[in-house]
Formats: sequence, C-alpha cells, structure tokens
Amino acid sequence: MSFSPWRRIGWRNLWRNPSRTLITALGLAVGYFAVVVIVSWTDGLTAEMIENSTGLLMGQIQVHSREYRPDRSIYDTIGGRDGTNVEQLVGKLVNDPDIKAGAARVYASGLVSSGESTVAATFMGVDHAAESAVSRILNGLEDGVLPTVNANELLVGTGMMKKLGITVGDEVVVVASAADGSLGNDLFHVVGVYRTGLTDLDGSYAILPLESLQTLVALESGRIHEIGLAATMTTDPWLAPEVAARLAETLRPFGLNIVVEPWTLLQPQMASYVQLVESWHFIIIGVVFTVAIFGVANTMLIATFERRREFAVMLALGTVPSRVLFAVLWEALILGVFSLLVGLVITLPLIFWFQSNPLDLSLFFDDFTMFGALMRPTFRIQFNGTIAVWAGLALLLTVLVAAIYPAGRASRIPPADTLSGL
Amino acid sequence: MKKRATIILWLALRNLRRQARRSLLTALSMITGAILLMFSLTFGDGSHEQLIEASVRMGSGHITVQMPEFHENRRIDERLSAEVRTEVERVLLGPEFTEHVTVVTPQFAIDGLASSSAGARPVRIIGVDPITESKFTLLDEKVIKGRYLEPQDEMSAYVGMALLGSLKLDIDSRFVLTAQDVEGEITSQLVRVVGVFRTGIPAVDESLIHIPLSTVSAWFQIGDDVTNLSVLLDSSMSAGPLVRMLKRELAVIELADLEVMDWRSANPQLASLLKIDDFGNYLFHGILFTIIALGIVNAVLISVLQRYREFGLLQALGLTPRQVGGLVLTEGFILTAVSTIVGIALGLFITWFFWGDGLDLSALFGDEEWEFSGVVMDPVLIPLFRPVRIIQGILFILTIGTLASLHPAYRASRIGMIEAMKFDR
Repeated sequence: MSFSPWRRIGWRNLWRNPSRTLITALGLAVGYFAVVVIVSWTDGLTAEMIENSTGLLMGQIQVHSREYRPDRSIYDTIGGRDGTNVEQLVGKLVNDPDIKAGAARVYASGLVSSGESTVAATFMGVDHAAESAVSRILNGLEDGVLPTVNANELLVGTGMMKKLGITVGDEVVVVASAADGSLGNDLFHVVGVYRTGLTDLDGSYAILPLESLQTLVALESGRIHEIGLAATMTTDPWLAPEVAARLAETLRPFGLNIVVEPWTLLQPQMASYVQLVESWHFIIIGVVFTVAIFGVANTMLIATFERRREFAVMLALGTVPSRVLFAVLWEALILGVFSLLVGLVITLPLIFWFQSNPLDLSLFFDDFTMFGALMRPTFRIQFNGTIAVWAGLALLLTVLVAAIYPAGRASRIPPADTLSGL
Repeated sequence: MKKRATIILWLALRNLRRQARRSLLTALSMITGAILLMFSLTFGDGSHEQLIEASVRMGSGHITVQMPEFHENRRIDERLSAEVRTEVERVLLGPEFTEHVTVVTPQFAIDGLASSSAGARPVRIIGVDPITESKFTLLDEKVIKGRYLEPQDEMSAYVGMALLGSLKLDIDSRFVLTAQDVEGEITSQLVRVVGVFRTGIPAVDESLIHIPLSTVSAWFQIGDDVTNLSVLLDSSMSAGPLVRMLKRELAVIELADLEVMDWRSANPQLASLLKIDDFGNYLFHGILFTIIALGIVNAVLISVLQRYREFGLLQALGLTPRQVGGLVLTEGFILTAVSTIVGIALGLFITWFFWGDGLDLSALFGDEEWEFSGVVMDPVLIPLFRPVRIIQGILFILTIGTLASLHPAYRASRIGMIEAMKFDR
C-alpha cells in the first residue's frame, strides 16, 4: 500500500484554506527563526568572548614553570634558576601543526614615576615580532612607536598615561624589584601608548622589550616566566586542551618542570559558563515551541472539525480509523515540512547576511566585560548548524504532537450520525 | 447607543463560550506567554539589582562624591578637604536624603605597591572607616581567614587571597605599602595582615587592600581629608533622582564643582551589560509574542469566517459594519484580557514561590564564580516585583491581543450581507 493518496489528500487539504495554513506556517517559521537567531547570537557572543580573552594578551595556551601560577613569583622561571634555551623551546612548540606562533614573556612589578606622579605597575617584557603574532596588544598603538631593544624605551596604557600626567616622548623613572633581591631602577622614555579598553590593563601594564626587562630585574637571558601560544585560525578553541596535552608530551624530553595549560584551565569560569550557555539552547527551543504548539493545535482542531463530514464519508466507505488518524498526522507533517521550509527561507539568508555584516550596536550600548574579556556591542552571529537541525526536528515534533488530539478525534467520528446531519 | 454596546458585549461573550475549546486553546498560548513574561521580568530585574548591589558595595557606592579629575587620574591631590567632606556629609544627613540613604562611608583610595621579601605587586589601597565601611561593603562577608578591620585597628590590612599568595604572607605577617604622598615624595608604610578575603574576581583578589582611614591619615598627614564619599542607597532606582537632588543642594552651598557620580558612570561596563541583557530579553519576548499573536490572528480569523452567515444576519438585523467589526474586536479583547489576568496572576504566583529563598542555581554554577563586568553573580536569584513592570506586561499583552484581532475584525466588517445570506454554506 502506498502513502501517496494520503499525502495528496493532506497537501490538498492544507490549501483549501490558504490564509489559515500560511498564518500557522508563519507562526512556526518565526519560532524556528527565533531559536536559530538567538542561539547563533549567544554563540557569537561566547565565541567573541573566548577570542577576545585569548587573543588580546593571554594566548590560547600558556607554558609556565609548574611553580609559577597562581603566585607568579619572579623567581619561578621556566627551567628554574638556570633558565632554558628559549629559542629551541619555542621552536619546538611552534612546530606543532595547530600552533601558529609562540612568544616568550617576562613579568615584574614595580613603580613608574613621572616626577609629579607615581603609579604601581606590572612590567611585561615581550619580543615584538613574536608577540604580535600571538596577541593583539601591540597592534594598533593609540600613539607612538614600539620600543627598541636596550634603548630604555617602554609602552604604557592610556590609563597609566593619564595617571602619570605625561605624553609620548616623556621620561619616567622605573623601579622594579629584581630577582637578585635588589631594586632595579632606571630612566625610560615612553615611546608609545596602547589602549585595550580594559581598565586594569590600560592602567597598570607597562610593556618593554624582553631583554630590557631582563636587564632591569637581573634575570639572565635564558630566564622567562611564560610562553604564550596562539593556535592557527582553523583550530577550534575547544581543542586547546588536547593540543596542550600533546605539547606537554612533546616537551617531555626537555626534562623541565613545566606545565602546558589551555585557556580552559587559565579561565575555568569562562569555559564552564560557555558550556552552561550551550545547555540553555535546548531550553530556548522548548519554550518557543511550547508557545507555538497551542496555535498549531487550534488550527488542526478547526481544520479537522470542519471536515468531519469528509472523515465520516471515508469511515463509511470502509477506511479503518487508524488510516484516518495517519491521514491527519500526514497532513500535520506536511504542514510542518512546509513551515520548516518557510523558516529556512527567512532564517538562513538573514543569518548569513548578519554573519558577514555584524550589526554594530555601539550607538545604543557601550563596551562591557564578561569574565575579564572586553566585548564590543555588535550583533555578532555565529551560525550553529547543530541547533538549526535540532530546532527543525523540534518543529516537526511540535506539529505532530499538536496534531495527535485532532487526529484522534477525527478517527473516532461516528459516520452515521455525522452524515445524517447531526 | 449604550444598549447596542451591551448587546455587542453580550454577543461577544456568548460567542467565546460557544467555542469554548478554541477559546481555551488560544487563551492557553497567551497564558503561557504571560507566565514566561512575568517570570523572566521579575527574575531579570532581580538579578540585575543583585549585580548592581554587588558592584556598588565592592566599589564606590550607588553615588560617589569626589573631585572631577579624580575618577580619571586617581591622584591624591584631587581630594576632598576635611571642610568639604563635613559639608557634603551634612547635606546627606538632610531629611530628603535619609529616606533613601542606607550609609555614607568616607574612602581614601590610593594606587601603590605592596612588597614583601617575596616580591612586589601593584595594589589599590583603600583607607576606610571600619564602622561605616562594614555596613557598606560586601568585602567583610568574603573573609576566609582572620577578620575584617575594627575601629581600634592601626596599621592593619585586609587583603585578597591572591595577593596573600603572591607576597607569601599570612595572618599577622607584615608587609610594606609604597605610594606617593601629597608632596610627590615616595613614602612607605608598614602594615600587618589581620584578615584575608576571597571574592572570586581575580583583579580584586590580586590587588585590593583595605586599611584603616586613621592609618592613611597618619601616613600622609592629611588629617580628615578623603578622596571620595561613597553612598549606599536602598535601591539602584533611587540613584538618578538623588544625584540630581544632591547636585542642587551642593550648588546652594557653592560646591557645584564637585563631581556627583552614579553607579552607571562609575561602572559603565556593568550598565552596558545590563542594557544588552534587557535588549536580549525584549528581543526574545518580542518574538515569543509574535508567535502568540499569529495564533490569535488565526483563531479569531477562523471564527469570523465560520460565522459568515451569522454576521450577515446581524447586519440584516441592523448592526452597522463598524459594529460587526467592533464585535470581533471585543471578542479578541475579552479573550486577551482574561488570559492576561490569569497568566500574570499565575506568573506572579510562581515567582512569589521563589521570593523568600530565591531560585538557587548553584547546582548549575558549580564551584566557579561567574564574573560579569567586575561583579560576581550570586547563584541564588531573588525575583524583584516592580508594579511598573506588571503594568507594562499587562499593557504589552493587551496591545498584542487587540492588534491581532484588528485584521479579522476588518474582514468581518467587510462581509456583504446579501452575499452572506444567499447560500447555505
């Protein structure tokens, strides 16, 4: 037995009352649109959060001495007090196919003074060329140029510049506690200023060439605190833990007391937040289609009630009730497929348009931060294919569930009474 | 005319009753929508208020009074002299303020360096009055070791756990604070750890230190000067009017050049986050009610088309097309109004259930702290009931329901009497 007559009956019945079918389909299509857009928006937000958090300064993976975090003592350099062959180590790490670049970093704390004002600072020693490939902080300075090696030049953030009351080109006194227990101090020229938008970073970080900082705080050239690693563009940020584990394995022969940590360990709250947001996706699907189900049930109920004589004829002619039941369910399924098509037609072009042209909301909203990551207020969308499929299945399920009661009623119509005009 | 209106109302009610199941299904979709709306509005407002409160009680209050340049450059010369401080405090004791002001606390904020033999870290040192500050701040509740500052304390420090670790300190350890004094000289002050806190916000745990105001005063020889006066209010919604009132009062005593800043300007990132969150909620509700509205359009439209003959007959009996349209609108309105009242009542009842203990999401949060714009979110959400929100919700659903009946009403008013009564359909 073929389905085809029932399919045709279902299809025809839908178009007996086109405006009713269209309105019902539109309701479901809007529901589908809502789910896909809202989910894609939150995915866009979380993707941007991860990207900004790792891309601005952190890097997706960091290598430290096992002792370094969380206390960040100046003595806990990679390879202990003897240091290590930094170039060889970074070279080995960058060799991994998922790693785009690696940059060595040195940190120290101290004071920066302009004579008229003094602020406390975290000093970060970086290798420009390598650092620009790992993080964005050195790209696009607000003003000035990058400091040159061993020329007593440094960069400060806009916040620190304001606190110090200086401009680019001014001289500052730098005092930092050194690794030999002494206080390193020297005159530096502020040659440039950066702006990240993060108050803490702009107000308290001073960046200078790696070698300059090592000299200032009496660290030998092989001693660094951190290697920041950037993954290639194509690497999913959620693969970072796997990559980190692989890198740790690669570094084992060096015999250093080190840890390789992905951003999910460096920023555990962010990782768990993103995972929770993903479980919310299904709650959104549930809420939207729960609201939609009443509209569909109503339409199907009316549609079957109007055709009770028709069903009575079918039953009188010998159709078994279960056939009538399936006929109505078929009709509902066709309505569902049609609604899904309408939904796809309105959703997909808009999604892909917004994905390539993110709507700028900065007219209405300022920047905000989540888990220490700066967020720009854009309507950034990242299409979530999995949820698009799940939402489609949910839509079809909604229609079928909504049709069960009307279908049951249709199959139990008493043929004789109905046809006699009661 | 009055009689006609009664007839229309009566007809509308009867029609709804006749199609009880259809009415019920349409109503159910609106009721579900209204419940969701109330639930998310009250919990949204509640969680926002919690975030604001956490933010202001960790920072500079709902309102803070300071020199205009201080917020930007945080320089110690931009401070309030003892006389100005007394004047402002006196104004804040006025009857029009005390109604909303919970506590006013003086603060002296300095950026400096904390160092021990293990190293040095940039820190934000806040000199506080232990009595008023303990009513103001949430920091004293975050104590994990030792205690918060007490009035007789001298040279004591209340520090974050991360700082304690990086300077290798413990309770009773001594360390040195270094900062620039009023003359521009670098000076140091020895302090002793009396308590340790943990907020879960890395930036705070690594760098915030509370010390007694008396210690700051002795260290910098600044008498009773402060950098800012922080004001905690009963609710974030009082902030706007109180800022305006305070500015007016300060202008009267010729202190108009002081900056009176509300929490939005002090933490613009949080203000923006809350706006974005509201925007997302409005978007979601907008879409949800579009779906509901389409359901209403369908149901009312079908009921109009099924009563083709009936409307024809009503016109034959003397109802004008306008009255026929009015009849359909009335039906839609009654249906919407009843569903709104039921839905909102149910929604409030469900949220009221959570009012005392709140909705505990700690199972979802796990052991992690969730930091948004410098504030850790409390895993227990307390809904906040604002009459204005309930009225907004009612008006919103009524508008949607009425708008959805417009098109069917128009169709009904266009039914031609002769045509409608010609055939038995």
